[in-house]
Amino acid sequence: MSSVRRRLAPYFLLGPGTIWLVLFFVVPLYYMAKLSLESGFVGSLQFNWHWANYSEALSAYDTQFVRSFIYAGSATLIALLISYPLAYTIAFKAGRWRNALLFAVVAPFFTTYLIRTIAWETILSDESPVTEFLHAVGLAPSGHILATGPAVVAGLTYNFLPFMILPIYASLERIDQRLIEAARDLYASAAQAFWRVTLPLSAPGIVAGTLLTFIPAAGDYVNAQFLGGVGNRMIGNVIQSLYLSQADYPSAAALSFVLMALIMVAVVIYIRFAGSEALMGEEAR
Amino acid sequence: MPKPDSRKRFAPLMVAATIAALALALGLAACGGGGGGIEGGGEKEAPKVKLEGKPSGSVTISNWPLYIDKGTVPAFEKASGVKVNYIEDINSNEEFFNKMQPLLAKGESGDRSIFVLADYMVAKMHQLGYLQELDKSGLPNVERNLSPSLKHPGFDPNRSYTVPWQSGMTGVIVNTEKAPDVRSICDLFNPKYKGKVDMLNEVREAVPLTMKCEGVDPSQASEADWMKAIEKLKAAAESGQIRRFTGNDYARDLTSGDAVAVMGWSGDAVQLQEDNPNLEWRMPEEGCMLWSEDMVIPVGAPNPTAAEAWMNFVYEPKVQANIAEYVNYVTPVEGVKQVLAKRNPELANNQLIFPSASFTKKCSATPVIEGQEEQNVVKAFNAVLNG
Repeated sequence: MSSVRRRLAPYFLLGPGTIWLVLFFVVPLYYMAKLSLESGFVGSLQFNWHWANYSEALSAYDTQFVRSFIYAGSATLIALLISYPLAYTIAFKAGRWRNALLFAVVAPFFTTYLIRTIAWETILSDESPVTEFLHAVGLAPSGHILATGPAVVAGLTYNFLPFMILPIYASLERIDQRLIEAARDLYASAAQAFWRVTLPLSAPGIVAGTLLTFIPAAGDYVNAQFLGGVGNRMIGNVIQSLYLSQADYPSAAALSFVLMALIMVAVVIYIRFAGSEALMGEEAR
Repeated sequence: MPKPDSRKRFAPLMVAATIAALALALGLAACGGGGGGIEGGGEKEAPKVKLEGKPSGSVTISNWPLYIDKGTVPAFEKASGVKVNYIEDINSNEEFFNKMQPLLAKGESGDRSIFVLADYMVAKMHQLGYLQELDKSGLPNVERNLSPSLKHPGFDPNRSYTVPWQSGMTGVIVNTEKAPDVRSICDLFNPKYKGKVDMLNEVREAVPLTMKCEGVDPSQASEADWMKAIEKLKAAAESGQIRRFTGNDYARDLTSGDAVAVMGWSGDAVQLQEDNPNLEWRMPEEGCMLWSEDMVIPVGAPNPTAAEAWMNFVYEPKVQANIAEYVNYVTPVEGVKQVLAKRNPELANNQLIFPSASFTKKCSATPVIEGQEEQNVVKAFNAVLNG
């Protein structure tokens, strides 16, 4: 009796998550897949294995795909460059300020995503002190900053920064200080100890952070909506406009699947490239 | 390092795939939009509103934001005993239609009894059989007070399923300090204001206005004329002349100084002036676009009796005067000017609220585009929006 119960326990524990996933992910995905193969206009859509939706979507919106990946990639890179030193400082150098700094990282989440993005509209506005300062020191090209690609990348970077900082912090914080001491004892310089001990040990955090930043950033449409101008729309904006203003549901569904597939491919390549243990950490070894 | 076995090598991929899938699911959910079957529709005979005695119970009205004063709803509730659930959930004709369409196709209205939408949209919904024909016996005020110029529009010659809510003009809103010489649609294309100009993201407004700059009458325009105007917008977008395409959110750009001249709606300008007295709506030299938005009762609407009572109530000139005073659009109700002349003469003489025939002489009504032509034009215009 008790052994049966023990054997079944894991399945019961998986239950709520599985039901949730099936109900809110698998089922909608099925409808989306079906929709993406329909043709006709709203009111008379017909399911007829219309694969052309895919090729048409891909050829009509290739610019926006490339743009989304460039924006998301740049945002991820910048976020990494900002996050790593920050996470490092919080983990190793902050002392009694550690909790306060962690709180500061998370604090922006107390306001909604939308409000934070709209705040950037004000910050980057043409006549704002920030813009005037950037122009004065020659850091910004002439013309406006708001309603351009860099403004969108700035918004994406800002909005997803905590998703980069927290995993890196978590992986740095777990590092056994004695390993670094051992490296120093073996005559490694501080830089060598960092490159050969600290950095590899924090790789799982870097991989998790880049994925958590890149994936949602590639599909984001809020930043481009508020901070972008003409020629800065991302693929998320296209999907939104196809669904809501053009009522071209099949193309929108097809685009969503293409986006999903492209991100999946990019992630798989990245994981291969970044090494298999990186994501799983020590457990995979 | 020991060679990892295949199962272990596979694990990170699974984790990555799961993260990717979940992140995307979140992203897609945020994109909104329902999937599922979209069936039904087609040409149907419209059902007719059945009035049942005195209005009572409750009624839900969907309208655009900031499109009514604060006093009218309570006044109606007091006068009729009907409880009103007034929701401001319409932000775009297309978006609202696409949100409601799956319900309407099933003969449901999402518990709403009145929608307020643009002429072309209500015409489309009527064609799809999504609207009820009104019972005129419940609308004596509308019969009496509806402005004669709005009595017989092309899409609903006898006003059998629509009652106008407000009308308005689309022209240019300029910052008179920073762009004093913008007086026409063509001036919006002046390189002097590069990156400081917003254009509307509504195909039926931005494109016809551009045609007017090119000397084409939108009501006579061929598909080629539409495409030519879209090309002009495209060139202006690519050169950086147009900062962005907006709806009402041009208000933000104008007040922050990010835009100095935009395509905009007459009522907005009157309200924007309170923030910044330098903002002014101008009748373009080429003329404006005239539009109106209509109240309609969708199929499956609960309590149509109360819905008609509401329509009738807002056609009382005294009631309408309060709305006009607040929204500053062109009122469709006769007799409002006389009411306002007594208490707010400045407003009563405002050409934007009570435009004279000579003021709107060169203006055009929202043009009709349908079928394949509409598909092509909408597609080309969206390609410009999406850059």
